[in-house]
Amino acid sequence: MSDFDAIDSLLASVGPQTDLPDPEARRALREQAQLSKAQVARALGVSPSTVSAWEAGRDPAGEVRVKYAYLLDGLSAKLATDTTPETEPAVESTAAEPASSEPEGGDEVEVLTAPELCVLCGRPAGVRVEGFAQHLDPAECQDGTVEARPAPVAGRPAPASKPSERAKGPARRAFQEPSGPVGLIHAAVEGALAEHRGDVEAATAALLKKAIPDAMSLLDETRKGARYDVIAHPAIPDILKKQTSRGADQIWEARPKWTRAELPPGVHEVTALDINGAYLSALKTHLPLGQLEHTTGMPHDRRRAGVHLITPPVWEHDAYLPSPIGERDEPGPLWVTEPTLRLLLRLSSPKCGLCEAPEVHESYTSGATENLLEKFRITLKDVRDTAIADGDAVTLEYVKAMYSKFVSTMGESNYNRELYRPDWMHIIRSQAFANLWMKALKAHDEGLAVVRAMGTDELHVIGDWRRVFPEGRGVTEVKVKDLYTAGTDTMGEEQ
Amino acid sequence: MPERNSDFGRFGASGVRGSELVGRKLDDLAGGIATPVTAKRGLMARLNYLTRSEHARQAARDAGLTVTDRTLKAWLEGKRRPSAKNLKKIDDAYRVGRRQNVARHLLKRLNANGGTRVEIHPLNQSGVARPLQRDVPFRHMNVRRWDRIVGAWAAGDHHGLDAAWTDDILPDLGSQYGAYEYCTNVGFAA
Repeated sequence: MSDFDAIDSLLASVGPQTDLPDPEARRALREQAQLSKAQVARALGVSPSTVSAWEAGRDPAGEVRVKYAYLLDGLSAKLATDTTPETEPAVESTAAEPASSEPEGGDEVEVLTAPELCVLCGRPAGVRVEGFAQHLDPAECQDGTVEARPAPVAGRPAPASKPSERAKGPARRAFQEPSGPVGLIHAAVEGALAEHRGDVEAATAALLKKAIPDAMSLLDETRKGARYDVIAHPAIPDILKKQTSRGADQIWEARPKWTRAELPPGVHEVTALDINGAYLSALKTHLPLGQLEHTTGMPHDRRRAGVHLITPPVWEHDAYLPSPIGERDEPGPLWVTEPTLRLLLRLSSPKCGLCEAPEVHESYTSGATENLLEKFRITLKDVRDTAIADGDAVTLEYVKAMYSKFVSTMGESNYNRELYRPDWMHIIRSQAFANLWMKALKAHDEGLAVVRAMGTDELHVIGDWRRVFPEGRGVTEVKVKDLYTAGTDTMGEEQ
Repeated sequence: MPERNSDFGRFGASGVRGSELVGRKLDDLAGGIATPVTAKRGLMARLNYLTRSEHARQAARDAGLTVTDRTLKAWLEGKRRPSAKNLKKIDDAYRVGRRQNVARHLLKRLNANGGTRVEIHPLNQSGVARPLQRDVPFRHMNVRRWDRIVGAWAAGDHHGLDAAWTDDILPDLGSQYGAYEYCTNVGFAA
């Protein structure tokens, strides 16, 4: 019979495709429920990057599609329940069970004296099963609701007792109290607001003043139970030391400052785009963990990061793309950081082929990880997103001050003596510049004309940029800073 | 003495005595005038610091700046320039005075909140033959009481500082503390 089972399941799998919400809605649902990609990925048995791809527009197929649809359905129902108790979250999950009031053998049924809200429909229920108050009779549960979802699709694995369990599962996880790092930020904001009796300006000013120590305690909080210690005071090689008290050190951060020499003929509408939270995104970079060790003439090691003395390759595309090492006037070898070197290596790879490989002469490197500040970054990003969604200006300013001051004072600053890592500061900045450069390349590849790439977050383009970059305030989105026309008469741009 | 290096560097290891690194770090934290004494700006700043009050003048005299008030006045007015020997004396007196003035605040900050976390970066073994290299990892510890260290540093007492660090503090590292008598860096914040 197993042959027929196999055929049955095969037949079932070629049935009509399960409907999925559109990609933005998928992401929104997950974020509303405060589930991380990793959590979702674990539940579905895929990798977090797959979940990212689904949320960016790719469609899952096969059995995992059904599972994903089920999860999203559950989430939307759950979230709808929170706002409108009328919506039935899991009609079919209970309907799938035989409509009997007898619980299954293993279930623990308590009769409640005071009715509690049913976890499925949100109405008062008199019985608790396995610790969850719910209606035993689906008819009660369905009361006055419309079947919001399509009928069970073919191919859905629907054992009788599982759906209700699964419907309960996320209910335990998804709506937890914010604790840990996120709670720390909210507590600070609430504390400041309470102290200043709701005076938003005074509270913001007070929060900005203690943004640096707060960022450091947030860092400590996010490193709890982590694999690597944050090493705050390693011996710093001379190239990373300031040569005079007000001078700079020898590191070239590859800050872009490029304007296209000649515009394409005609009058153009130029859009100045602003990358949101550039330094926040740049916290995800390969950071050296310990003391930097000196090596000479070694090939680049992907597991290490630091600063490198390189001879940069010749850049031949300056007419339409900025140089990846920025506007360097002096020729010859220069000290660059890990992100710049990785960018150059990537551009010199056979796949890109935009330049020759850089020549690495000397390096100061240490074993590296990309995850050192990852939890810190995610926390700040989540709080930022929530603050934008809620229109919470105080928290937004506070978060912005935390990450920007954290980056700018992590080197030799007297404002933050807890962390003495000029190497990290340079690497994070370079990462922001490299990210901007990659955006310029993306724009160029998609057929936009890049007019200017400037500083950390400024990109001027000609063309329909909306099909390349999503517009918004999230860190993956861009916002319009300015809109101007540049003419062909003067051969150059005019604002 | 147990856990002490008797002939450091014999097999090619390099490092600096931990106590000296602590002193350097305290100097960094104490801050002060960054311009060198050889520049006019640095010299005037130091002279002003040393002659700000009668108490400061006396402290400068005690610290070895044994010149007459007339000379000091001439230097301050720019009528004369100190000799190289006196420039060194001025710089030394400034450093001593600065340390003494800052010590109290520095000590308070270091002792606050249950002490300060200290990172100890191990000695550099890159010059040691492979079979003789030992595993000396990065360590960190909390130092609760800084009184002796800061006291010895403020008094310019190198032996006292070394005793306070190597005999009192370092054994708190526990296992292999002797391996950290010499290191590449000692880091802490105040």
